[in-house]
Amino acid sequence: MTGTTPMAVEQSSTRAGRGEFEKYHRRYLWLLTICLISFVALGLRLWHLQIVEGEEYHRVSTQNIIRQVEIKAPRGEILDRYGVALAKNRPSFDVVVDPAIFLANADETVIDMVKEFLHLTDRDWTRVHDRLKARRGDVVVRRNAARSDVARIEEHQMQLPGVNVRINHQRHYPLHHVGAHGLGYISEVGPNQLRRMQPYGYRRGDFVGQMGLERSFEGVLHGSPGLERKVVDARGNRLGEAETDFLIGEYQQIAPIAGRDLVTTLDADLMVIIDEAIRDYPAGAVVAVDPRDGSVLATYSKPHFNPNAWSGQLSSMEMVRSDNDPFRPMVDKAMSGFFPGSVFKFIGTLAALTEGGYSAHDEVHCPGHYMLGGHRFGCWRAGGHGRVNAYTAMAQSCNVYYYNIAERVGIDPVAKQARALGLGERTGIQLPGEGAGRIVDSDWYDENNPDGYQRGFALNAIIGQGDTLVTPLQLVMAYAAIANGGKLYYPRLVDEIRTQTGDSLFEFHPTIRKRVSFDEEHLEILRESLRMVLHSGVGTARRSSLSHTEAAGKTGTAQVAQIGAVRIPHAERELHLRNHAWFAAYAPFDEPEIALVVFLEHGGGGGGDAAPVAMEILDRYLTREERSALSVRLGDEMAQGNQR
Amino acid sequence: MIERRNRFVNALGRLNWLLLSVVILISSLGIINLRSASIHSASAFHLSQLVWLVVGLGLVGIISFVPTRLFIRWTYFFYGIVIALLVATALFGTELNASQRWLDLGVFMMQPSELLKLAVILVTARFFHDRDHRGAFHLHQLWLPFLLLIVGVAFVMKQPDLGTSLLIVAIFFTMVLFEGVRWESLVALIFALVVAAPLAYAFVLQDYQQDRVRAYVNIEADAQGQSWQVQQSLIAFGSGQMWGKGPAEGTQIQKGFVPEHENDFIAANWAEERGFMGMLFLLLLYLLFVICVLDVARKARDRFGILVCVGVIAMYFWHLVVNLGMVTGVLPVVGLTLPLMSYGGSSLLVMLVGVGLVLNISAQRPRYG
Repeated sequence: MTGTTPMAVEQSSTRAGRGEFEKYHRRYLWLLTICLISFVALGLRLWHLQIVEGEEYHRVSTQNIIRQVEIKAPRGEILDRYGVALAKNRPSFDVVVDPAIFLANADETVIDMVKEFLHLTDRDWTRVHDRLKARRGDVVVRRNAARSDVARIEEHQMQLPGVNVRINHQRHYPLHHVGAHGLGYISEVGPNQLRRMQPYGYRRGDFVGQMGLERSFEGVLHGSPGLERKVVDARGNRLGEAETDFLIGEYQQIAPIAGRDLVTTLDADLMVIIDEAIRDYPAGAVVAVDPRDGSVLATYSKPHFNPNAWSGQLSSMEMVRSDNDPFRPMVDKAMSGFFPGSVFKFIGTLAALTEGGYSAHDEVHCPGHYMLGGHRFGCWRAGGHGRVNAYTAMAQSCNVYYYNIAERVGIDPVAKQARALGLGERTGIQLPGEGAGRIVDSDWYDENNPDGYQRGFALNAIIGQGDTLVTPLQLVMAYAAIANGGKLYYPRLVDEIRTQTGDSLFEFHPTIRKRVSFDEEHLEILRESLRMVLHSGVGTARRSSLSHTEAAGKTGTAQVAQIGAVRIPHAERELHLRNHAWFAAYAPFDEPEIALVVFLEHGGGGGGDAAPVAMEILDRYLTREERSALSVRLGDEMAQGNQR
Repeated sequence: MIERRNRFVNALGRLNWLLLSVVILISSLGIINLRSASIHSASAFHLSQLVWLVVGLGLVGIISFVPTRLFIRWTYFFYGIVIALLVATALFGTELNASQRWLDLGVFMMQPSELLKLAVILVTARFFHDRDHRGAFHLHQLWLPFLLLIVGVAFVMKQPDLGTSLLIVAIFFTMVLFEGVRWESLVALIFALVVAAPLAYAFVLQDYQQDRVRAYVNIEADAQGQSWQVQQSLIAFGSGQMWGKGPAEGTQIQKGFVPEHENDFIAANWAEERGFMGMLFLLLLYLLFVICVLDVARKARDRFGILVCVGVIAMYFWHLVVNLGMVTGVLPVVGLTLPLMSYGGSSLLVMLVGVGLVLNISAQRPRYG
């Protein structure tokens, strides 16, 4: 500000001046001119501030005094059929900072305190500080802070203007990884997702179901957030009631609407049993349903992930590890298509009886292979099974018997039977990402094979190889339909939607998807042959059984590598060349309560590997005395583990 | 008796009523403004300000009737007293906001640095009055006022109070330049300032003062501290728009977003509540004030009178420009009050005493009559 210089220019006037004070006369003018110029400059500045930019500043000034804090709605819980929590909320503490208030008041000591209490390094702090400067709303500095840190911050609340502890809900899955695929997990809404979900009131920082029930019932579980408006001063202190009333009146609070609870049909105990039974196998899936109403009792996929970690702050290490896992832990295998192998043979039996004109006791000779146009189709037992009929062929899983049927009826009646039982199409389970599998017929080969349909394809299809893909879920629903006499249900995963106070809002009733009109005699033959798999001296699963009752089931060993192409003994093969092991079953035989499919990805053989696992599950499930004991205990153990 | 009454009536007649009215009008607006600024807060700033205004106007009355020669005679003595008070402040002063500016006199607290403004005006006017020099001065001829200035300002810098120090220097130079110095001296002075400024920044300015300069250089980038204050002040100004939000309706000030809003940032409240038009009106009142004082200077009988008027104009002008400049974000925040509007006894009294001096000069018998 050297605005005074013009006054000094005036030496000429002093020389020229005659009177004592005449040298001052021009300087009065200069003084006045300087004042005028300065005042005009100030006036212009004011014009710019108040008129040109006035509107913008006015908008800012209204935001300045009214703080809107979103009150998150607690997410609905997911319960099993007996009320055991599968997903629930635990109170957690987020440390948030209001940038406007914090930056205005924080000095070195305050910043040092925050850094110390939250264990932030200088680099962490720089990042936090950048975020504070970039944003208007609250910035979460530490999500899910440790209780001891929270206590220290609350103790020093007065010295930490703008630093607040906000109670939040941390999603918690008491059973940890058990059943994780069906339940899913939640995570902060991503940028693309946000664009899609913004119309429904989602905002940055909201958590959204990313998989399983959490995702498919997002709209039910999420609830809607409330709002709290308060009038604050520059330090963020709430102003008095009278003033608050005056400024925002009745719009002070909009209560959040809590998310709705889901009561599922799942049985937490059964899932724990499955988890224990499958412990020796690295990958696979198990689905269990109640054949009487299509309720899903358990859905289980392995390898699993920890939804607690995925719903919190997942380390990038863990994410990379899971991405690189050849067993794809984030894929729900219960809903993915695989070669079914011999568990598919029940379709062949049905085709033989209904379309092929076979009777149960018509015999076929199995020399250990089947010749078609110079091409050799092998049976799994090279020496052959000798003479087999519908019962013994099923019990021993004789391929040659089924090759004969395929030759007799062709591929299309087989495909028709498979589709009638819901294979090759989505079951309609209330979960995202269900695979459809694939049932092939002559049309499909005409379209997809350069040489069109060949007779040999039927032979592969009927033993569940070739191009047939079936999901464990489809299979279990089909076996349930066998067990219940032909009612193909929609898999019912959610029983009821209810409020957090327990009022029922909606019930999902068992719904039949298709009624399969079995000939009663054919059904009896099929069931008996399935029983013999376990309970006859030649059955492929004769070494497995239940302690108190009989079951029916079928083994399957799906070859992943081309038959005959791999000459290395199975046990010495690389994992991804090993066979898939299947076992599909229902029990008790007379009054089925549960249908079950065990699928062990590259797990070995149906009889040697899958059947024992399935029988262990069924046996423990059917003989357990106390409900929910296992899952509650596991939940407690996991909780203790987490605290440590 | 009659003669004495006549003299009193004459004196009243010679009183510059226009100037006094402008001053009282601005001060009253100041009190109204303080009232609406503190309407929701516990402290009744406007009431104590009213007390100070009454006291100040009493002082104005007394000062305007004291014979001017007494001021001329006691100027150096007065300067000595102010320096003594500054020494006392440095030794026994009360520390507020990390700065030792206040002297607790029991009944009230005073800021001797405010008095220094008046003392410098008087001493500088007396110095030139004594020299009665027609031409321009050489710098070396001004060693005495420079020395006195440096002694006084050094104490103020030490408190530390950068704003007041700069203001006093600005008043002094305004008066010196008005009186006239040789252009070689001027160039030398400017050169010295250019060299001294960065050195002063590095070695003389305290940390918080450096912060202020830095914050000024980059207001938007740093939302902390100083520029928060300015930013909030800008919001207050801007949101007032053309006609303002109305008395006591200013949200920025009422909710305490602008620290020191009753003091240095009082204009923010006026601007928020009365808008652009209110600010324009206020500026015109100050302009009227300057014109009135200039008129007094023009008619003054002696050099002392002229220079005191110029000094008082300089004091008001620099306060006003720097204060409004800083609250509207074009100048760094240096902590200067808005004359007659800002809350604070010392500031108001000094401003009013300045007016009293002008009225005194105005009441002198004119030069040619």
